[in-house]
Amino acid sequence: MSTLNHVDDYPEIPVSLASTRTILKTGAWRSVRPVLAERSAPCSAACPAGVGIPAYLQDIKEGRPKEAFAALTSRNPFPRITGRVCPHFCEQACNLEEKTGRDSVSIRSIERWLGDETAHLPHPVPSRETGKQVAVVGSGPAGLAAAFYLRRSGHEVTVFDRRDLPGGMLRYGIPDYRLPTVIVDEELARLEAMGIEFRNGVALGSDLTLDDLEATYAAVFVATGAGRERTVGIEGESLLEPGLAFLEATGRGEVALPGDRCAVIGGGNTAMDVARVLRRLGAEVTVLYRRTVTEMPAIREEYEHAVADGVTFKWLTLPRAVKKQDGKLIVTVEDMWLGEPDESGRRRPMPTGVSRELRFHGVFSATGETADLTPFPDRLMSSDGWLSLAENGATTDPLVYAGGDLATGPATVIEAIVAGRRAARAIDHQLGLDRLWPEDNPIEVVGSAEVNPTYVPRHDRTADHVAEWAGPFAEESVTMTDAEVLYEIERCLSCGHCNACGTCFVFCPDGVITWEDGPVIDYEFCKGCGICVAECPGHAMILVNEREVSHV
Amino acid sequence: MRWAVPEAEFMDPGTLGCQGCGGTLSMRLVLKELGDDAIAVLPACCWSIIDGPWPVHALNIPVFHTAFETAAVVATGIKAAKQIKGKDTTVVAWAGDGGTFDIGLQALSGAAERNEDIVFICYDNEAYMNTGIQRSSATPLGTWTTTTPDERPEPRPKKDIMGIMAAHRIPYAATATVAYPDDLSRKVRTALAAKGGMRFLHLLSACPPGWKMAADDAIEAMRRAVQTNVFPLYEVRDGREYKITHWPEAEVDVADYFSLQGRFAPLLADDALLNLVRNNVRERWWFLVERHQQSLRKASSPDGAHLH
Repeated sequence: MSTLNHVDDYPEIPVSLASTRTILKTGAWRSVRPVLAERSAPCSAACPAGVGIPAYLQDIKEGRPKEAFAALTSRNPFPRITGRVCPHFCEQACNLEEKTGRDSVSIRSIERWLGDETAHLPHPVPSRETGKQVAVVGSGPAGLAAAFYLRRSGHEVTVFDRRDLPGGMLRYGIPDYRLPTVIVDEELARLEAMGIEFRNGVALGSDLTLDDLEATYAAVFVATGAGRERTVGIEGESLLEPGLAFLEATGRGEVALPGDRCAVIGGGNTAMDVARVLRRLGAEVTVLYRRTVTEMPAIREEYEHAVADGVTFKWLTLPRAVKKQDGKLIVTVEDMWLGEPDESGRRRPMPTGVSRELRFHGVFSATGETADLTPFPDRLMSSDGWLSLAENGATTDPLVYAGGDLATGPATVIEAIVAGRRAARAIDHQLGLDRLWPEDNPIEVVGSAEVNPTYVPRHDRTADHVAEWAGPFAEESVTMTDAEVLYEIERCLSCGHCNACGTCFVFCPDGVITWEDGPVIDYEFCKGCGICVAECPGHAMILVNEREVSHV
Repeated sequence: MRWAVPEAEFMDPGTLGCQGCGGTLSMRLVLKELGDDAIAVLPACCWSIIDGPWPVHALNIPVFHTAFETAAVVATGIKAAKQIKGKDTTVVAWAGDGGTFDIGLQALSGAAERNEDIVFICYDNEAYMNTGIQRSSATPLGTWTTTTPDERPEPRPKKDIMGIMAAHRIPYAATATVAYPDDLSRKVRTALAAKGGMRFLHLLSACPPGWKMAADDAIEAMRRAVQTNVFPLYEVRDGREYKITHWPEAEVDVADYFSLQGRFAPLLADDALLNLVRNNVRERWWFLVERHQQSLRKASSPDGAHLH
């Protein structure tokens, strides 16, 4: 038997010294390859402005509010405003809610926080002036958005408004407890700092005509809104106070409560605002609506706020006549029932023949608004008596564009902003400056079946807080804190957008993903198991068949 | 990055694990915590192949390939040699379920009984996958393998290896899976910190071909094993102190785990068998919960510090 005292006494054994990297190119096993694919999140797709939400949430999370603000304002210049008043179509489309039943990410509250956080940042001043002058008529959200983008493109922009102060519906339509005037003023100051000129107290039609404008300006965008109150069409109409005019008066600080008991006729957003203002001023308020809560056109959240304020609703109640008696208004109402759906898809109110009398100190009408089209010459009108408009706001006159509530009837602030932006783009196109605008490529939306909610934390949704009562017009809610915003963003799946969460890196069995602030896949070794794609919370990666990948 | 998993890699790509291999990922994540001052001992198992054929290998630490039954004892010998040389190198025996539950059990029991200063890690894919999916004593009741076909699926419950290891009163034993990477990382760190004695980690590791499922379902399968309490995550100190480290949010039925894998077809086709398994899982879970609570009571009692 040999003795093993020295290393030379041991038998030779084979030793592997080289790395598998040198010869085992396991990428050859693959039939599908994972690739990062930026796709649209459902929230972004549902946003009329198409704001890239997961991307700006990531900017916030990683401490880049300026970049988040720049990304957001490329689609919507006023996050401070929409962060307060938008009906958040985005949140209704959230995959987290769809997939897990948990509450959606409170995107609007995050947007509001970002708006406040970046309120001090100036808007970009154009790097080059085009030397062209563009007029915007109307300074509501559509006009202001158009002015912002036209100025950003380098035009000299003048905004005309018939009232003594700009802001339109933002100032005079939306009550201060929802959108404080000071915020509108600060946003207007930022626009002025960009070089936008505001000319107030100039009404289109009476003080100047479209022809006057066309003589001076390279293009005109008209967004004068839908400010003409629709009549209720009942006996004693003149005894009704128009809701919009009331909101404007309270916006000017001219508060006049007709008495303790008030009624509001209508079920739209104006009706909700009027009812809430009256209620917050101390009146007992009853909303009279001819259908039920299900058919009511008001945004659900506005209705809930009205209920929370203590507004009473009388459903299936149609006012037939108003008369004055002993200083009070007597409203004769008829009870209704719901019949077959009408052309709007909502069930039609049908008379029952049963009438009652209700007594109030003041009755307000809010049954809808239409646009005042008198400033438009006949040549711009279509045969049905309406303004002839293309989707981008172009009229039949190549110098004149229109949009906002003027074109759509009463709609949301974000839809007006989109109309303004779209018109600005169309005007730039007309002026040969379309190179300033990136192409909007329609991209596929990430469906709820694709996402993997395992790794987002399960804590409850955090949103704006209810403010302590500080008067009828003090802002009713409080912006989230920095910590709350970061906590809330953690809940976002980041659909279709890699937010560098690292899940693919952690779960790659073969270690073929290296981390350079984000995943980098080594296709020489990736076996195509698909785990990175399956585990990616927002499905920001997809599997592509190797046959479809071009081999150069 | 959302994860607490270290970025450093100690496993090169080009390993020969199948697509979606849970054993490969287990090694990759464990190595991130072990670091490079470690030596691995591999008995016959999938990893004998995965690490690569001569003259190449994937791990950035020395690897000893050894005979099936000897992982624990070879690791013991290497550790002794390192100690003589004054080195503090971590020695890990890395074995499959065959090299742990069956063929490696004698050496493992011996090393555990002597409380050797090694880390024994079992990556458990619940059959002899490398040789063609033959059943082992880690194969669960009612499972298909090539030696327990659909008509006569595995007739015995899975061997309770954690109970066996706890009975040796070793300083630290824990279950973990790569589907819960932060939990896995923490347990590897805890095992390293408990040096001086025997440490045992039991890692459930999905095998897409052997479990008859798609490769990209591997993580989901391991996650469901935990969510359904089929594979609870817990740790045992000194063979007595039990601590459940992950509490499932809600009771998820075991069928959610089984239905993802073709190997459980016999179980899903036999309600009586499925109920038996369901009850076994529940019973085992409540046993653990009781041990967990018992340990909490002991820790809070005045003489709780004197467990030995």
